[in-house]
Amino acid sequence: MRTFAVALLLATPVAAQDAPTKAQGLAAWDDIYAVTSHPRCTNCHVGADGIPMWDGLTYGADAVHGMHVLAGESRVGAETMPCRTCHIGAQSGNATPHAPPMIDDAWRLPPAELAWLGKSSDALCAQLRDPETNDGFAMDGLATHLETSAFVAWGFDPGAGRSVPPGTLDEMVVALNLWAAAGTPCASDP
Amino acid sequence: MKLTVNGETHDVDVEDDMPLLWVLRDELGITGPKYGCGIAQCGACTVHVDGVAVRSCQLAAGDVIGDVTTIEGLGTPSALHAVQEAWIDLQVAQCGYCQAGQIMQAASFLDMNSEPTDAQIDAAMSGNLCRCGSYPRIRDAVKLAAIKLRRV
Repeated sequence: MRTFAVALLLATPVAAQDAPTKAQGLAAWDDIYAVTSHPRCTNCHVGADGIPMWDGLTYGADAVHGMHVLAGESRVGAETMPCRTCHIGAQSGNATPHAPPMIDDAWRLPPAELAWLGKSSDALCAQLRDPETNDGFAMDGLATHLETSAFVAWGFDPGAGRSVPPGTLDEMVVALNLWAAAGTPCASDP
Repeated sequence: MKLTVNGETHDVDVEDDMPLLWVLRDELGITGPKYGCGIAQCGACTVHVDGVAVRSCQLAAGDVIGDVTTIEGLGTPSALHAVQEAWIDLQVAQCGYCQAGQIMQAASFLDMNSEPTDAQIDAAMSGNLCRCGSYPRIRDAVKLAAIKLRRV
């Protein structure tokens, strides 16, 4: 599906290209959903309970984060144990299996309204196109966020044998721009 | 590089990627922080950096930004920290290996959250393992320390 969406985008010179069709937009969304529903994303995109997941390595699909971690309303564990107690805010090769991953940013959970864990494709589609539930982003801002976020970059290169979402970050941005150009369609739209 | 530990500034000649725990124990002879697992799974190496609990086995020396406090700098025998007092009052330690990390974790936690719920105490302390199973006394001591700190 990814190849299909990207090929559609690349097949025609941009200047001569009409807005992508709804079908093309939906194909691009499928590529986006393949990433946003992947455990590398949903392990932290959890709901208001603030309990991160450890789906990956040998832990199993339903494994919650060890150490009884509660990120709390602060989403950084300020009420209990800060994320940064273990996830140091510094660039790292993240080469040691089972050691906490680190990036050059403050480790944290996304806001609760950005919960993706367990969401269907259609629910997540509606959520991501709405600034009320996508952290206030217009689509071009969301693309910039993908390109500049240390978290997103780490998600595609998490190290130490951790699973990675399908495709590359560049392909994700292409799919997002295509979906946006098509009017952010969702499958259940009339 | 320069590291400030327990109020004293040290000049240390180490690689940037040496874990702070190694620097403390092997270079500076500060052996309160313990090596347990080396991957932030046990909490025995916990120290404070500017008051925040940090697993010193994970923090590279070159990434230390702020003042480091170890159990040696938390209190003194004549002026114990409230958490240390509570630990003695309730005779928490059994073998004691994990206790420096437990106390540092608890002290940082109570500094951020002076009126914790039982659930928050459990969550805050669950990253610090105790192979002797002194958890019930740890929980009681954190509660006692919270009361002591609120009286200050």
